[in-house]
Amino acid sequence: MQQQSIFVLFLVLAGIATIVFTYIFISSKKAAAEEKGMSNPLKKRFWFSLILFVILCIFITATIPKSPYYLFADETPARVIHVSAIQFQFILSEKAIDPVNPSGESHIELPINELVEFRVTSLDVNHGFALYDSSNRLITQVQAMPGYVNRLRYKFKDPGEYKILCLEYCGMAHQVMRSSFMVN
Amino acid sequence: MASIKLNKITSVWIISVLLLFIVSIVLGILMRLNQGEMISQSPITFYSNMTTHGLTMIGIWFVAGMAAVNYIMERYVKTSYTVNVLALVLTVIGILMFWASTFIGHFHSAWTFLYPLPFKEMGSETWATLMFLGSLTVLGIGWLIWSISLMTQILKKYSIPQALAWQHLRKNPTVETPPFILISMITLIGVIACLLAAVVLLVLFYAEYFSNGNFVNDALLMKNLTYFFGHTIANEMLYLGLAVIYELFSEVSGRPKWKTTWYVALAWNCTLVFILTAFFHHLYMDFVQPQGFQIIGQLASYFASLPAAGVTVFSIFIAVYRTKIKWSLTNLLFFIGVIGWVIGGLAAVIDSTISNNIVLHNTLWVPAHFHTYNAMGNVLFSLGFFYWFSIQFSDKTKIKKSTTLTLALLLIGGIGFLLAFYIGGAESIPRRYSIYPSELSIGASLATIGAAFASIYFIAILIFFFNISKRCLKILFSSS
Amino acid sequence: MFKNIVFIILTISFLKTSSAQTVSPSLKEESDIYEKIYDAPLILDKNQPTPLHELYNTKPLLVVLIFTRCTGVCNPFLLRLKESLQFKAKKDSFNVLVISFDPRDSIKDMNLLARRFALEDNNQWIFAVTDSISKLNQSISFYPIWDSIRNQYDHDALLVGVNNEGYITKKLIGMRGGHDLDLLIASVNNVFSPTYRLPNKKVLFSCFNYDPKTGKNKLGLGLLFIALPAILTVLILIVIGFSVRSKASELEESS
Repeated sequence: MQQQSIFVLFLVLAGIATIVFTYIFISSKKAAAEEKGMSNPLKKRFWFSLILFVILCIFITATIPKSPYYLFADETPARVIHVSAIQFQFILSEKAIDPVNPSGESHIELPINELVEFRVTSLDVNHGFALYDSSNRLITQVQAMPGYVNRLRYKFKDPGEYKILCLEYCGMAHQVMRSSFMVN
Repeated sequence: MASIKLNKITSVWIISVLLLFIVSIVLGILMRLNQGEMISQSPITFYSNMTTHGLTMIGIWFVAGMAAVNYIMERYVKTSYTVNVLALVLTVIGILMFWASTFIGHFHSAWTFLYPLPFKEMGSETWATLMFLGSLTVLGIGWLIWSISLMTQILKKYSIPQALAWQHLRKNPTVETPPFILISMITLIGVIACLLAAVVLLVLFYAEYFSNGNFVNDALLMKNLTYFFGHTIANEMLYLGLAVIYELFSEVSGRPKWKTTWYVALAWNCTLVFILTAFFHHLYMDFVQPQGFQIIGQLASYFASLPAAGVTVFSIFIAVYRTKIKWSLTNLLFFIGVIGWVIGGLAAVIDSTISNNIVLHNTLWVPAHFHTYNAMGNVLFSLGFFYWFSIQFSDKTKIKKSTTLTLALLLIGGIGFLLAFYIGGAESIPRRYSIYPSELSIGASLATIGAAFASIYFIAILIFFFNISKRCLKILFSSS
Repeated sequence: MFKNIVFIILTISFLKTSSAQTVSPSLKEESDIYEKIYDAPLILDKNQPTPLHELYNTKPLLVVLIFTRCTGVCNPFLLRLKESLQFKAKKDSFNVLVISFDPRDSIKDMNLLARRFALEDNNQWIFAVTDSISKLNQSISFYPIWDSIRNQYDHDALLVGVNNEGYITKKLIGMRGGHDLDLLIASVNNVFSPTYRLPNKKVLFSCFNYDPKTGKNKLGLGLLFIALPAILTVLILIVIGFSVRSKASELEESS
């Protein structure tokens, strides 16, 4: 699970940072007046910065290609679902949604292991179209911005009920703005 | 050398900031208690409080940094007392107008006031949005005048290249730029840029407000401007704190003064570029943003950590490692604050990775990292300065047992409060929810735990408030 | 220039008279995307029915719906389309299929139309009629209304993009500028864009315009507003820097 790995990585790094700082603090407490501190500080600073730079470059190279913008760009989706977000509901439809008289379908079923495209817009303010799987884990999301359509492509690997939560603060009922669909 | 007037105005700043901090923490604890279902607020009350909490916190720690920089800057150049007072007056008026819009008018668009939400609020008074925009205008004018004034005073003594320490990039520079001046200059440039972004943003808001529907803004442009202002000001206030650390850490520790070297000059000049372009990381989930800007966002966010770690943090390492230091509460707060800043930075860099952001964006991971930066970073930088300032005219220098206890409360409270946020982010709990859905009930448990630890942190802050304010009041009402 | 003005006046007046169809243009453009166009049997020059799929399997299509007895938008629309496409890049990557939705039109009428536009020898332009027009209309949500008083059809100026698998990739109602045509051509060639703007007259500024020719974003006026704070800050810095230095040197000289 991506979020768990992220959290573990963070705890490890934070732990290392805390240990390093604590060690350095203790070394100061124990230091005698004539101690000269760190030897070759400039050289150590250079190596520290260089190692950090290399680590950052490795992460950049590894992660940028995994960006969500052009996922499945060469494939034609099996299903297209139009999504219009409005204070405070998500309107989902297989057909285009009239912004003047928006209406959608009450029940959406999507296929498993096939490409689905969500064409997401907002009819009023910014909303967040966030998909949660049946174990209540956030799996993907895209913003719903008025005046624009964002296309989110995804392949559902597991069947079940998926929830849509609004993840961009949109006003007094933001916390109850949600919808759902089934994947079979 | 600080004048009596400067000492007094700085005392007023410190007391005001701490008072507002206390009010803001209470609002924050109430929010977590509501999310924990221990109390029940109406959604509008929750979200108005959230708005008040957010902008008040950003505002007070920004002005705290500015007041500290203004005070220290008097060692190098003459600063304007009039402008300092004007900034205080306009800040107070601005905050009062802002609180009127939220507490009375129920304005609840969050401190980010993301367009077009302020125009599409339900349940708030008709005048609330205009009052909010007006309060930002007043705050912005005061802060812009203050930053331009401080920058002007620096430029009266140092030329532009000297203020930016470019001569240190060559061998044997003839003029020495103190690190404090370099960092203040870099930070003030960033502050002015982000306040001007706020000016453009407000002009566009007003244009639409008064056009009766004839002029409609582009949502993408407004979001870019909003985060150019918001992200940048939140980061610049951290750097204001760092400017003070570069000046005071060695002095308080009884060690030789830090000097500007070629890598310090290079690092801070690079920081200016990164800090002005990192804000794109707030738009990763807006696919409409061009991919080039998304990548710039990740690169700038990543590489901003290089000068921070390689120069500032490593300088702290060098200053402390195996070195006998006169530890006092001031430099201890600075030291712990740097740890908080580093840990917040680790969480931030993780979130600024686009492929991580898709599962972290707008979850509790976001408040986790920025509360780490602030509650355990920038706040401690400012508290360090407040304490140092307040004891100048008294003879308290030793760390007592009660100080150790206060610090322990601060750390335990802070770490527990923050861990509740981080775990919430890892559990996909959304941010800015007044209550959590039943399927995400762990959110409520975490909120209750977070509120409990925040209360411990709050006790520590109250102790700091009483001690520091007592001494600052003496300074304020003394005749010398 | 004069033709543009005439066209704009006709389009505006046409769109105003189509008051019966008050559905929002953005809705009409969003419908049927990724649906398959009806595989209508077309009557082309040779008089032998050719199924539509034989055309789109060869090359993607821009499908235009007109009728030859039109006194409204059809002729200026076709003329404008012909002129716009002349200067487009990748114009060999698609064909234009002009179909009449009027049952009275024969292939002879369409050939006359082609000659009027000097397109009878242009291989890129295909003129056709079909007996299955109602099914074709349904598949692209095109609903012309017969006006018995004017003896004319009231209809949208519709352009439909169809890729080489027969899927409708994009629709344009009315001619909305060369940029939108570029997007249409890109879409029939299966060039993916993760986002696009919805039609909106009132928005004055926007940051970026996606340019499907280069696959990059062109700078819009809005980008200037994002760069403005940084530009102004640099200007303020320089102005203050120079003015305080010149004041300082003036003071030095006078003392």
